[in-house]
Amino acid sequence: MEAIEHPPIFRLPGIPDHVTYTWLVMIILATVAFVASRNLQLVPRGAQNFLEVVLEQFNQMIDDVMGHEGRRYLPLLATLGLFILTGNLMSLVPGLAGPTGNLNTTGACALVVFVAYHWIGARKQGLVAYLKHFAGPVPLVLKPLMFVIEVISHLARPLSLTLRLFGNMVGGHILLAVIFLLMGLDGLLGWALSGSVAGAVVGGIGSVVTIVFTVGFLYPLKILVAFLQAFIFVMLTMLYISGAIEEAEHHSEHH
Amino acid sequence: MRRSLILSGFAVLAFPTAALAAEGATGSWIGPFAVIAAGIGMAIAAGLCGLGQGRAVASAVDAMARQPGAAARIQTAMIIGLALIESLAIYTLVIALILLFVKGIQF
Repeated sequence: MEAIEHPPIFRLPGIPDHVTYTWLVMIILATVAFVASRNLQLVPRGAQNFLEVVLEQFNQMIDDVMGHEGRRYLPLLATLGLFILTGNLMSLVPGLAGPTGNLNTTGACALVVFVAYHWIGARKQGLVAYLKHFAGPVPLVLKPLMFVIEVISHLARPLSLTLRLFGNMVGGHILLAVIFLLMGLDGLLGWALSGSVAGAVVGGIGSVVTIVFTVGFLYPLKILVAFLQAFIFVMLTMLYISGAIEEAEHHSEHH
Repeated sequence: MRRSLILSGFAVLAFPTAALAAEGATGSWIGPFAVIAAGIGMAIAAGLCGLGQGRAVASAVDAMARQPGAAARIQTAMIIGLALIESLAIYTLVIALILLFVKGIQF
């Protein structure tokens, strides 16, 4: 890890990098939101127009998945989505560190989701009825077993949210770092510049190939993955919340 | 000569502590095996994940071709399914990263 790891250009002493860059993401998002909402107009222009389009997309997704009443949870979902998307994209800028490439950041997001959907479900129908629903529609003898299985499956959700985002980001980062190490001044490019004939031929061709491969394929792929992982995180959050709400409706129907 | 080399190789594999004691080394023999395990595990996980995702995408594209009107909903469901399948490979990736990069694991 030490061979391919490189520190970001800006670090605060004594503070971990992912915290610093989480603050940077927060500053960026707050600035954009402030600029967009400073001078609200009926016919939006510029930053306001941009943010309204983004939030319309979120509303569209919520309407598709959760129905119209899901719009109550737009603040939670859009905040998570914008934070994760900005963090993912920031980790692609050379010299910056991405907050989502660290297990603590993704774990914090997943814990927020975990607490939020249980809170929403318990608020919707009361704590006891919500917990009772974990036992499921099975005979009384099987209810304790079902309850344990359900609890374990619910506990696995934040784990899988955490590890999915973290693994996707870090896997891509390690791939990019290895490619950069391969083509950098210690690798093919350095060989091409070293002066030997074989190095100039093989290293030159190799570095051109790796640069074209990186710029033409790997970076677009990473940008796609950044959007896709933010989308999936928000989509799974929506599914969990709507699951907690729908359980409530089912429960009241059956009894 | 060669056969005895192979046999001693098997002996090292079968009784690593003996080899360790014979060498008198303090270094762990876990390290090389951890690298091998990370590589093989990630290869198996990536291959089977590719098979699973291929099946899912094939069915989804088939359904989208039959019913172009429902393409958006099918695509959303497909992406969620792909994420859930992919997370299994991601678990293996995390374990491989732990095996490769986390120092100080004493098995």
